[in-house]
Amino acid sequence: MLIERKSYLFEMIRNELADAVGAEFVNCADSDKMGHSIDYYWIPELWHDRGKETKKPDFVVHPGSAEEVSKVLKIANQYQIPVTTWGGGSGSQGGALPVYGGIILDTKRMNKVLQIDEQSLSVTCETGIIARHLEWEVNKAGYSTMHLPASIACATIGGFLAHRGTGVLSTKWGKIEDMVMSLEVVTPTGEIIQTLPVPRHASGPDLTMLFLGSEGTLGVITKVTLKIHPQPEARKFRAFIFEDMHTAMSAGADLMRSRLRPCAVRLYDEEETSHHVKRVLGLDRKGAYLVFGFDGQEKIVDLEMEYALQIMSRYKAEDLGSKGGELWWENKYKFFYPGYMFHLPQAFGTLDTVADFAHIEKVYQAMKDVVKTNFPQARFIGHFSHWYEWGCMLYARFIFEGEHVPADAEEAVALYNRVWDLAIRAAIANGGVINEHHGVGLKLGRLMKELYGDGFKVLEGIKKTLDPNNIMNPGKMGFKGV
Amino acid sequence: MNIEKHTEAIKACRFCFMCRHLSGIGNVTFRESDTPRVRALLLDQVMSNPALLANADTLETLYNSDLSAACRYHCVKHFDENGLLLAAREDVVKAGLAPADVCQVAAEYLARPAAPAISGKGDVLYFIDYNTAAVPAIATAFGKIMKKAGVSYRSAEKGCPGKALKVLGYANEAQKAAREFAAAVNAANVKTIVVSNPAAYDALVHDFPEMGIKLKGKVMHTSEYLLSLKLACRKKAGALYYLESDFLKNYHPDYEFPGKLLSHLGAKRLTFGTNNEESYTCGEGALVLQQLRPVLVKKLACYIEARADHPEKDLLVTASPYTRKQLSTHTKLKVVTLEELTASLI
Repeated sequence: MLIERKSYLFEMIRNELADAVGAEFVNCADSDKMGHSIDYYWIPELWHDRGKETKKPDFVVHPGSAEEVSKVLKIANQYQIPVTTWGGGSGSQGGALPVYGGIILDTKRMNKVLQIDEQSLSVTCETGIIARHLEWEVNKAGYSTMHLPASIACATIGGFLAHRGTGVLSTKWGKIEDMVMSLEVVTPTGEIIQTLPVPRHASGPDLTMLFLGSEGTLGVITKVTLKIHPQPEARKFRAFIFEDMHTAMSAGADLMRSRLRPCAVRLYDEEETSHHVKRVLGLDRKGAYLVFGFDGQEKIVDLEMEYALQIMSRYKAEDLGSKGGELWWENKYKFFYPGYMFHLPQAFGTLDTVADFAHIEKVYQAMKDVVKTNFPQARFIGHFSHWYEWGCMLYARFIFEGEHVPADAEEAVALYNRVWDLAIRAAIANGGVINEHHGVGLKLGRLMKELYGDGFKVLEGIKKTLDPNNIMNPGKMGFKGV
Repeated sequence: MNIEKHTEAIKACRFCFMCRHLSGIGNVTFRESDTPRVRALLLDQVMSNPALLANADTLETLYNSDLSAACRYHCVKHFDENGLLLAAREDVVKAGLAPADVCQVAAEYLARPAAPAISGKGDVLYFIDYNTAAVPAIATAFGKIMKKAGVSYRSAEKGCPGKALKVLGYANEAQKAAREFAAAVNAANVKTIVVSNPAAYDALVHDFPEMGIKLKGKVMHTSEYLLSLKLACRKKAGALYYLESDFLKNYHPDYEFPGKLLSHLGAKRLTFGTNNEESYTCGEGALVLQQLRPVLVKKLACYIEARADHPEKDLLVTASPYTRKQLSTHTKLKVVTLEELTASLI
């Protein structure tokens, strides 16, 4: 049911919500509804830019606890009102957009750090806390979450959990799902549940993993216990310029196969090195820029670096030294600030995927070919930014400039979606997946069935069981809409 | 519209989330509208349709901001969302859309004489603006220091250099007040003008030249002036937390004198809270936030109190009389200004 704004039912529901969370925390102001109608997804940004009406929620509620979340969800079930959970709103996939109106459940009031356990090295916090604020708190106690994504200043911890986010140190310290010990979740029907206290067990399937990446479709994650780590004694970087990306990829893969444990590895293709890296870092080189680092006890870091340099020495590459590596580390977030980040009127998207080393270059080439062949007016750049023992993530981008972006908003959206369809299908066909750390959201939901095949029926079954009235973020992640 | 001069900031900020963690008001209201991103989005819409400026929610949002400029300081390219908001407020007033509470606060300032009452003798003029006057201990401490240093000075009490009116969007009235203020101060013909309130410092050093107003005499914040006195201290300040002023940190990023004065006083500075990026001023940048949004100011004060290591024991020092007043009123924190600290050590 979608509510008629001026009805007495609307006012009754508002009163019920106010009773659940406090009148101060139920907001129907135009300015807030506007703020929740646009996230970091290009399409609502374009819609706004072209003066079109963006889809707004009816209510914005700010619960202060799991109990209040539960009350809100029970009200939403009673009236069958869609609920979209919103943390920082900085997702790029449209996952937090209230496409059917209804309730925006903004989690930012649930922002407390509840405990830093120095015996187990973990932190328990509410999930509405902004990641930067959590990291600062943990730093003050002498530790780090080691979760340092570019969106650290704007995204909430809950947002990262909901989208399986990652940070720049993922190669050693893992993605968010590797950092989680335990979760508290409010199910769509309002039960407050706790997943098992530890992440390694043989006590049945892992409930924690079920909710990670569920993007607000299976409930609201309200608390989390995350691993924390002592601040490393040293963190050192090194960078190289390779003649071509293929050689650099081989060197990077060798580094990972050696089972050394770099904290970060990043490889920029020739196009991105000569344009984006040059513009942001001021590094004017032709070829492929590979940077990696190690952190921990200084002696071990130095030893790991020594072995890594031996691996690099097998290749013909220009050693930019530690200065070339530190340059990247110091400016790692600069890429995302206005003035450096892509922005409207450009049409752009991050074709984020992941594959094993046997397939990743094929995926890269297939995506590049499909973009270049079908959209010769677009630029294609890419870097490989999260590396694992078995493969790495591709952060490819397409960019349309100037007259190549249709003036008509509908045409622009059609072009945009066409790029995604072709590029992601090319990735899947060559061993990639829909996404590695930005999530699925509204943007890529239509491709989920293609990715999972019959496996998607399992996910649909889980959704139906947990959310019988389909109130939680309907129409996202490939699940049915209202 | 004035906001058109800030198109670059609108375009940069409207889809950017990178300074959200520093949204002082947003961090206590949790409202998306209290962030630079949404304010820029709203003003982007106003650019296309000026009638939207009349929306009551938009107006509330525009006057909610604490104007700390932490976002501008943090931003890699320093896009000026603060300047955009001030321009928008000017547009609001020019369009006759100022909300009743804004009109009321403006009326209070318009009723006050712009020219300060000047008394005493000497080449130094100490300006005691309304915020400084609200904490009598500050002027008393300054007097004690000057006596100890053997410097006679004149006091310029109250008076309005136009900053509050400017912040509210009353640009013409602010300029008129500034001219009257400057005329009175220039008539005193002093060599040095000392101000305790960083907002007043910003008005005299930044706003006045922008308006084409010249002041005779060098303007100094008290931190700079007290440092120049090279006072001998009978004891060291010891461990304390210095709460940066929005004006001295984010509006004048190279202003180093509070830090230098603290070093001179033998202070061992501890990091307050968890970081040095957030504004811990209770909305100093918005100058009249206490009159406009008392509930928000109380929330800001509680936010600061919650970040203290030992709320009832720690010594907090601020350069801002406004911050001193709000923290003393709303929290149990022990907070003094630089003048009070200095006077207690010499």
